[in-house]
Amino acid sequence: MSRAEAPDAHSDNRSDAHPGAHADGAPGTPPAAHPIVRARELVKTHHGEGAPVKAVRGVDLDIERGEFVAVTGPSGAGKSTLLHLLGGLQRPDSGGIWFDGTSLDSYGEAQWAVLRRRRIGIVFQFFNLVSNLTVADNVELPALLAGRGPKRARADRAELLEELGLAGKERSMPGELSGGEQQRVALARALVNHPDLLLADEPAGSLDSKGTREVLRLLSRFHARGQTILLVTHDARLASAADRVISLFDGRVVDDAVLDADGDGARRRGTGVAGVLELKD
Amino acid sequence: MRLPLLALLASGPAHGYELKQDLEKLLGAAYPQPNVGQIYVTLGRLEKAGLIEGEEVAQSTRPNKRIYRLTEAGREAVRAWFDEPTDEPRVRDEFFMKLALAPQTGLADRIALINKQRRQYLNTMRALSRLAAGEDRDNRVAQLLIEGAMLHLQADLDWLERCQEEFE
Amino acid sequence: MRAILRWAHADLRAHRGEALFIVLATAGITASLLLAAALFSYAADPWQRIFTQSEGAHVWIHTRADAQPEDLADLKGVADVSGPFDTARATVELGGARATVELRAAGPKPPRVSRPLIHDGHWPKAGADDEIVLDSSLAGALWAETGDTLTVRGAGGAEHRLRVVGVADTAEPRYAPGERPGTGWLPPEGLRRIAPDPEHTGRTVGLRLDDPDDTDFMVQRAVTAIGADRVTEVTRWQQARAEAEGEGRLLGLLLGLFGLGALLAAALAVAGAIGTRIHGHLRDISVLKAIGFTPAQVVRVFLVQHLAFALLGVACGAAVTELLGAGIPGRIGEAVDLWRRLPSHTWTVSVTTAGVVLFIALATWLAAWRAGRVPPVPVARTAVPRGPGPLTSVERRMLGRGLPPALVLGWRGAFTGRFRSPAAVGRLAVPLMLITVALGAWTTLDRFQSHPEEIGLPAALTVRDGAPDEPGTGRGADGGSGSEIERLSAAHPDVIAVHPGVEVAALVPGQTGTITLRGLGTDERPYPFALAEGRLPTGPDEAVAGQGLLDLLDVGVGDWVRMTVQGRPQILHIVGRGIEPEDGGRTISTSLDNLELDNPEPGDRGPTRPDVHHLVLRDGADADEVAADLVAAGDGRLEVRRVPNPADGLSAVRGVVVGLVAVLALIGLIELSTTIGARARDRGRDLLALKAIGLTPRQIAGVIVVSAALTALVAALLGTVLGVLAGDWLIDLLGRAGGIGAGIARSPSPGALLLVCAAALAVAVAASLVPAARTARRRIADTLSETL
Repeated sequence: MSRAEAPDAHSDNRSDAHPGAHADGAPGTPPAAHPIVRARELVKTHHGEGAPVKAVRGVDLDIERGEFVAVTGPSGAGKSTLLHLLGGLQRPDSGGIWFDGTSLDSYGEAQWAVLRRRRIGIVFQFFNLVSNLTVADNVELPALLAGRGPKRARADRAELLEELGLAGKERSMPGELSGGEQQRVALARALVNHPDLLLADEPAGSLDSKGTREVLRLLSRFHARGQTILLVTHDARLASAADRVISLFDGRVVDDAVLDADGDGARRRGTGVAGVLELKD
Repeated sequence: MRLPLLALLASGPAHGYELKQDLEKLLGAAYPQPNVGQIYVTLGRLEKAGLIEGEEVAQSTRPNKRIYRLTEAGREAVRAWFDEPTDEPRVRDEFFMKLALAPQTGLADRIALINKQRRQYLNTMRALSRLAAGEDRDNRVAQLLIEGAMLHLQADLDWLERCQEEFE
Repeated sequence: MRAILRWAHADLRAHRGEALFIVLATAGITASLLLAAALFSYAADPWQRIFTQSEGAHVWIHTRADAQPEDLADLKGVADVSGPFDTARATVELGGARATVELRAAGPKPPRVSRPLIHDGHWPKAGADDEIVLDSSLAGALWAETGDTLTVRGAGGAEHRLRVVGVADTAEPRYAPGERPGTGWLPPEGLRRIAPDPEHTGRTVGLRLDDPDDTDFMVQRAVTAIGADRVTEVTRWQQARAEAEGEGRLLGLLLGLFGLGALLAAALAVAGAIGTRIHGHLRDISVLKAIGFTPAQVVRVFLVQHLAFALLGVACGAAVTELLGAGIPGRIGEAVDLWRRLPSHTWTVSVTTAGVVLFIALATWLAAWRAGRVPPVPVARTAVPRGPGPLTSVERRMLGRGLPPALVLGWRGAFTGRFRSPAAVGRLAVPLMLITVALGAWTTLDRFQSHPEEIGLPAALTVRDGAPDEPGTGRGADGGSGSEIERLSAAHPDVIAVHPGVEVAALVPGQTGTITLRGLGTDERPYPFALAEGRLPTGPDEAVAGQGLLDLLDVGVGDWVRMTVQGRPQILHIVGRGIEPEDGGRTISTSLDNLELDNPEPGDRGPTRPDVHHLVLRDGADADEVAADLVAAGDGRLEVRRVPNPADGLSAVRGVVVGLVAVLALIGLIELSTTIGARARDRGRDLLALKAIGLTPRQIAGVIVVSAALTALVAALLGTVLGVLAGDWLIDLLGRAGGIGAGIARSPSPGALLLVCAAALAVAVAASLVPAARTARRRIADTLSETL
């Protein structure tokens, strides 16, 4: 199901982990069982000040329900662009995207917006929150947009904020919160509608290690409840929390690896943890 | 292991089993179960070198314990160990050798090597995360140790990316 | 929809000050527009004003003494009746000027319907048989003022003296010499004294109708009711209005243009404020889109917000104007009070308020549509506008030479962005330009009054032979009183020139109307025409024509025209165009020697005798004094009149100009505040960087102040230059349209322009001080997201 540029770099672990995997048809035909997101041959070129830059060159991607996928790579590799394409924030130059079996190629901006309301939640590195709304309003806004009544929206919001440890901060403005708190509010906002897919673009990029740990913990917790997550990051710790790590380089997928479920394999190989502290004799 | 054992004895005399327990308590789960036999062997070597001296203590129901105590020379050695700066950890030069030699042999592909190594690091990182989650939050020494290892791993991964850029 | 309301509500809470400002600005603009409309209708249609204020009568019926006009009050369709009054015809004379008057016997108080509006003096006291109140057109013709004593000659021929105790405005048809008498009100005792014989009296009644459009029908019925043989004259309100309309036309045009200009400036200011406010929200819009707002919803959000502001502001402005407008002291309060009673009032208010709301909706929609196209990716790049590029070498050198960095950075700050800052300068320049145009109008009017020779009125007095039918004093074989007048006039120390003149009507081929042919001055002493084009006539048959004539005959300077005068043809060569304020500019003037007109003495085949002499006075001489002197010197044989200056009727324009300048200044202030707010916001973003460079808070505030000041300065320069050009062009255009002729425009003095620029600069600096200081002292944000 996943194709990478370099023919040798295939993942043997992958087919083991997904016994239900089946061969795909020609690009353009959705498979029988739906992965939540399916992308084929995505291409996106940025036209900036100088020469045009090909940010994404022919990337294929499948994400199943409940998967936690991390996308890593050096900066400029096109990770953020890929995430923007999957969230409808930018339109691909060519290629197709299917969400839960429906083709999104013909979607206009308004339709993407509706999709983002109900089924996709997005967390960015910066500028996540509307600066002149309180925390409570920020979190409730997507719920109201999706058509939920104000009372229900308020209940959902209270529950989420409580869960994320922000119970006392409903009335604060985003400017009064620390970076870590802002990201947690952003997470709450992205999750208030229980989206099918959560897209996170460097959520811990501007945080210190404590903030990073908080984000990690929260993402793992939601993943344990069944949330599908696509995480773009260059932090190895965050990436290692995912089930599957896709490495992008220069706009192409170079590796698509499933990580060991419980880390036993590492111990079995005799290196890893025991090698943390090497005491000389 | 020699100098850490000497350092442990600097706070007071102890016997082998106690030392093992102290090590465990100090380093936590980051350090696998210290091998008792290895500890006794090291203690014996240290006694021969004159850095510690041992004393038999009789016990009624069990075999005799041997209690060790730091000598003046031992104390001096511990002081010297603390005084001199420690070398940085070496670069994982084995992997680098593999990477450098791969194209010449024609038996392995650089990109594949890098990918495999990356997967290795990520798995290790995952295991370390789990370790840190399982460890007692207040055991600062253990947590710091694990975090140090993670930072090293992050550096190794970044270096892998650089290699990939250079060799693409 | 709920989400939209939630965001709009929260945004309002967060930016309370801005919202309040916009609402107040809208209210201010609405109030100003309504006040301007009130002033406009007040000044541009004086007849309507007077009619409404005085509760005028639609129809005046003059009857014989034996008629019973009281019965008309019972006619269906008559709402109210003025009078009936006993009247008598008489001749009045003051200082050589003569006029016919209809004397009316009025009670101790002014009548309720068609009440004469006394603007000078008071109503005659009951029983005072030597007091009289004149209507203003009559008083103007006689140059009579309160306190003057008139000589009244009744039908019997006996002379009486009456003291003028008041001058009043009415909406009745005005005094026209030879056609219609003026009106004077006096107590019944006074009337009996002057016209004791009831045969020479009559009665007059004024009818106020329910339906003004039904006048013709009502007149028919009224005349039938009284008896057609008893009715001597009927006048209608349409006649009165038509007569009064002539002078209002130019004024109306002027005010209309001013009003449009103010509207344009206001529109730009509001559009600018809205656009800038929405532009400041760009980053939030990206986030909203990422959350899931569709572009249409983004547009709707801003529309909802600004429409709410607009409605609130317009309602407040209209309410304040309606309730408190009449309380404003002076003409403005009068104007509003009057305007409220005018028939077109409700319609005007509705249209103005609806127009403002609609306009704001349109401006918001445009700005919001642009905002809706912002990409949903909240990246630093899109949130900050593209800058002006690297420091130019000039700027670098200036910084190197030690010029204060605040100045250089302020310069860059003022002119950043390829579109936004020229737009800001332009929007600020428009009100300044209009202020300059208004000042130009003021200056032109000033020149009219202080230098009437520049608008074709070099002579302040005209002298006529007062008693031409007295034997021995007419224009006779001995050269007559013509030379007598010249001698007497020239003898006065204040008179510097005496020009003989004659005025006749001439028929032009193909026209059914007449033009005025004037013979002024002689070849030896030519008349000082006020020339706008061409040259003064020097040779034979050369003449100067007015713009109205050139338009009427479709000729230009240098053409020959042929006309018929007293049955004989006359051919003249137009060599110049003059400023002709009278008769719609349809006059042609030539030297007296060129004309061969009939002289009043039959058989007198001599050169054309002048029937009027124009006296040019010394600068600063008092025309009234000179007139009195001449009358005394001529022993009452001379009729001396003052030449009316058309600028006198336009004095209402001054008040309007002041009001307009105030409104434009308000609009300019709003525009300035918008610009300052935008600059302060920009600088706030760079706060960290500026502090790192080493600028003190005072210097940072200085950057903002300098950028605002520079914007204002460039706008002022641009505005004044354009305003001078536009003002001249506009006033000349109006002059041309009115027939006076182009060339009357006068630009404001350089001192006035400098004052405008300096004032704009000072206001900009003052208005930017507080926001600048506040921005510079803001606590530095500790998260990256805020600085971006």
